[in-house]
Amino acid sequence: MKKGHPNDWSGKSRGGSAGYLVFVFLLKRLGLSAAYLLLAFVVLYFIPFAPSSTKSVWFYSRRILGNSVISSLIFLYRNYYNLGVALIDKTAASSGLYDKFTFIFDEPTDVKEILSGSSGAIIIGAHFGNWEVGAPYFGKYGKRMNVVMMDAEYRNIKNILEKENKIGAFSVIPVSEESLDHVFIIRDAIARGEYVALQGDRLTINGKNIKIPFLGRVAPFPQGPFVLASRTEAPVIFYFAIREGFRRYRFVFKLFNADNTSRRKGGELKILESYKMELERVVKSAPEQWYNFYKFWL
Amino acid sequence: MIDQALIDKINSVLAEEFEVEIERIIPEAPLMQTLDLDSLDLVDMVVLIEHNFGFTVVAKDFVGIKTFNDFYHYINNRLNEKGAPE
Repeated sequence: MKKGHPNDWSGKSRGGSAGYLVFVFLLKRLGLSAAYLLLAFVVLYFIPFAPSSTKSVWFYSRRILGNSVISSLIFLYRNYYNLGVALIDKTAASSGLYDKFTFIFDEPTDVKEILSGSSGAIIIGAHFGNWEVGAPYFGKYGKRMNVVMMDAEYRNIKNILEKENKIGAFSVIPVSEESLDHVFIIRDAIARGEYVALQGDRLTINGKNIKIPFLGRVAPFPQGPFVLASRTEAPVIFYFAIREGFRRYRFVFKLFNADNTSRRKGGELKILESYKMELERVVKSAPEQWYNFYKFWL
Repeated sequence: MIDQALIDKINSVLAEEFEVEIERIIPEAPLMQTLDLDSLDLVDMVVLIEHNFGFTVVAKDFVGIKTFNDFYHYINNRLNEKGAPE
């Protein structure tokens, strides 16, 4: 495990507030179909003008998935397009257009029991599919959702969330390298019986990482989310939202089977291994919904 | 004045948790550098304190703790506030 890595993500997601607001405008004025149509053209812009992202998708398609050149060109377009659809759909869903979508729940009994119980829970997701589209669903159990987010990314979208009145949909716990406050905020939220959602697949600047094989090649995963999950007494649930078709999503949940060793120092590796297996399973089912647009593998 | 038994207990749990030789833990030594701690390791520090000394750590507790001596005083003061026997 080491700190820092040339692969490190900058802490800010691609796309500025202007792009986001264009889609919000389109959704409100012209509806979902118009937004999808515009997206089909916008994607063509991103392929040449986001070279580092395009390069990383190309590597993913050619080296990790083993696609041919032709298949990779198609994959590239579909990958960007799916990201755009995810953005549009989460905006639409959080704007109250839930009836436009079909949601299927892969929710085992043990997960249901935990979500409907009184204890808090750590929810670990990924930059895959569209986890935000399902975030309001957690509210049906009457508990608050707290999303842990890099401080730079939070600052980037804070104004938009406030402007679109989405800040109340969930609370954001900003993470900064200089402060430990988030550790206490997370612990307090768990103690109140709330959910804390983390992404388990995104490195942070100077953050520690754990290198493990993922889809057949070694990749560094962030250590932080798994250390936090290991040291809290809360149940850990892996959660992914897969887009299965036109306005149709499947929410997949898996409870991590914790034991004494996973709650101690070093337990983060056990949680990460389990998370990785689940992530591999869902990514293989929909590889074009994997959205880590940077050099993910070593 | 801090009880030597408390200092010994603190040194012992820190040495074991952060895998440093106990001889390196001296009152004037810098805590973070000696134990090679970063922000993620502080998660373990919080768990260690709460499990071994039985009080809840809050974020502001870590402000001003630079040496092991500061740390001994912090633990001692919190235990006295709590009123629990060591």
